[in-house]
Parts: sequence; structure tokens; C-alpha cells
Amino acid sequence: MASNPMQQFTVHRIGPEIKIAGVDLSFTNASLFMVISASIIILFLFLGSKEKKIIPDKLQLITEMFYTFVAKMISDTAGSKAKPYFPFIFSLFMFVLLCNMVGMLPYSFTVTSHIIVTLIMALFIFVAVTIIGFIKHGFKYLTIFVPSGVPAVLLPLITVIEIISYLSRPVSLSVRLFANMMAGHTMLKVFGGFVVSLGVLGGWLPLSFSVALTGLEILVAFLQAYVFAILTCIYLNDALNLHH
Amino acid sequence: MKSFLIFFIASLAININLYAAEAGMPQLDPTYWASQAFWLILVFAILYIAISKFYLPKIKDNLDNRENKIKEDLDNANKFKDQSEVKFKEYELIMENAKKEVSKIHSDSKNILNKDIQSKKETIEKEIDKEILKAQKEILEIKKNSISSIQNISENIAANIIENISGDKLNESSIKATIKDVSKKNIGKYL
Repeated sequence: MASNPMQQFTVHRIGPEIKIAGVDLSFTNASLFMVISASIIILFLFLGSKEKKIIPDKLQLITEMFYTFVAKMISDTAGSKAKPYFPFIFSLFMFVLLCNMVGMLPYSFTVTSHIIVTLIMALFIFVAVTIIGFIKHGFKYLTIFVPSGVPAVLLPLITVIEIISYLSRPVSLSVRLFANMMAGHTMLKVFGGFVVSLGVLGGWLPLSFSVALTGLEILVAFLQAYVFAILTCIYLNDALNLHH
Repeated sequence: MKSFLIFFIASLAININLYAAEAGMPQLDPTYWASQAFWLILVFAILYIAISKFYLPKIKDNLDNRENKIKEDLDNANKFKDQSEVKFKEYELIMENAKKEVSKIHSDSKNILNKDIQSKKETIEKEIDKEILKAQKEILEIKKNSISSIQNISENIAANIIENISGDKLNESSIKATIKDVSKKNIGKYL
């Protein structure tokens, strides 16, 4: 077992090298865990929606709970206009949640601990939300940068701040998830390393920390998936219901 | 205890130094960025299509079904409640009518019975009056008859007494006359 706590984040190729137009698109361990997470979601939803019972069994109840949880989250933050985007946000939430949770298993790989993965998701959301905003409101969407009820003197400053905050959305969204996952897993690894190096004598203290941290990380895994989804809903709400 | 703490802190320091030396973020190595982006988009696209086309409609269908079923059942329950209320009102109406009818029948039959009793009483009274009259007549007749038979008996007794006492036979007609006389005088006492 490698002692470097960052070792767990290395990406390596599995199987043959795939190069398309000079770009390396090989199947890696990151790809493998994306596929595993997606497969678990699909299997879970398949088993949960296989039988349409009036009185649900446990698995069906859990899928329905996820459904109503995400549906309620969207309707609470973005209103009824966001209904067409429900499948996307549901998929996003489930994917991030499962990637985080699968990453909690020992010897597994955390897909969401890579900035490139979270950045692509955040950029996609950012671009999509901006396009939706312009389609729904035309150039009036630019008034999102001009809050109402601000004194005329402060208006240029506020507008600049609003533009910066709008443009930093993909960065904050992606870095929040990536940094949380990376920091958590690094901590777990560091404390795991302490347990080994301190041995039977001193290893019990870091071990108990490790146990507590594992619980915390499971909470963080759920919370970050929820935050990612709810921030997407909030951005969507800004684009759909333009008001300030 | 002190030595243990020192050992612990020293180990921590050694570990951290070790890690700091090897530290480097694989996340910032661009070798597999394109691959990760490609597989992320591919996997997520497939997942999105599967979820939005197959699973969410199914789950939504089922949730809607359940909601409709609950609504239907509630509607039915309300309908049945209304129906039962209507039926209950009908029942109350029927009961009231029945009560009215019963009291009517009761009073009617009472009247009829009263009349019947009255008429029967009257006829019976008439009959009783007749019977009384008849009986009085009969009594009178019996009395008259008994007077004549008493006269005969008393004639015979008187004749016998006289014969036994005096040893003479008296004229029957004179005895008769005497008894008639006496009975005429005293008959008023008995009649």
C-alpha cells in the first residue's frame, strides 16, 4: 500500500490505449468508477421501478423517496418552471452522490475528487443556465447584473461585483465539490498512515479518528451532492425567474 | 506517558514530512484530462437518457397512480357517505310516516271499538229490560197461581183441622168463602 496520501488520486490506464485524432481517450480507473457508479444507479432504479405496486416494497420506497426528495428540492428553489430540467438535476444528483459514495469504499477511486470532472459538470451547468436565461428573457437577462434598489452611485461597482460573482459560479461550484472530496480522502489516508506507522502502541488514537472521519466523510459525500444539485437549482431559478 | 506523547508527536512530524516531500496533485496532471472528460460526458449522457426516458416516467407513473387511487378512494368514500346520509334521511321519513300511520290506526280502531261497544251495550240493555219485564210478568203469574194453590191448600188444611177438632164435616163452599175472605184481607201483605 502506497504511503503517499495523494497516490489514491492517480489516474492510470486500464486496457488498451485509445487515441482519437492524437487525443488520449483511454479507459482509465476514473472511467471505470464512473461506469460503476452509473451502473449502480441504473440497477437501483431498475429494481426500484420494476414492480408498480400501490403499496411499495423497500427498494421501490427508496427510489420514490429519492424522486420526491429531488422533485421537492427543485420545486422549492426554482418553482414549477424548472420541471423540464428535473431529469437532468435528478441524474446529476444521483451521479455525484453515487460517485462520492463509491469513493468511500476502500481501494476505490473517487471520480468527483478530480477538478477536471467537476469543472466539466459545472461549466456545462453554467453554459446551459446562461443559454436558458437568454432564450427565456432575451437581452433582458443581462439585468441579472443590475440589482434593483441600489443607489446610482454604487451601481457601477455592484454591477462589476455581480458580473464577477456570476462568472465565478463554475469555479466555485467545481472547486467546492473537488476540494471537499480530495481533502476528505487525503485526511482519511493520512490518518490511515498514522495507524500503520504508530503500530499497536499508538495507533488506536488515529484509528478512532479514522472511524469518526469516515462517518463525517459519508455525511460530506451526501451533503456535497445535495449542495451541487441545489446550487444548480438556484442558478436555474435565476435564469427562469428573472427578478431582483 | 510523557515518552509516549513524544513518540506520537515525533511520528506525526516524520509522517507529515514524508508526505510533504512526495506531495503533488495528480488532479493537475493533464495526461488523462481528455479521457476523463470524454468518459464523463459519455457515461453521464447514457445515464441521463436512461433515467429520463425509462426510469423517471415509470416512477412518476407509479406515484401518480397511487395518488389517483387515493383520491379515487377518498371520492368514493365521500360518495358513499352522502348516499348513506340520503338513505338515512329516507329511513327517518319512513319511520315518521309509519309512526303517524300507527297512531292513526290506533285512534281509528279505538273509535270503532268504542262505537261497537256502545251499540252492543245498548242492545244488551234493551234485551235486559225485556227480560226483566218478562220475568216480572212471570213472577206475577206465579204469584197469582201460588195464591190460588195456597187457597186450595189452606181450604183443605182448614177443613181437616175443623174436622179433627169438631168431628164435623163443614160445608166446603162456606170454608171456601171464609178463606177467600181471609186471603183477600191478608193478601196485600204478600203481594
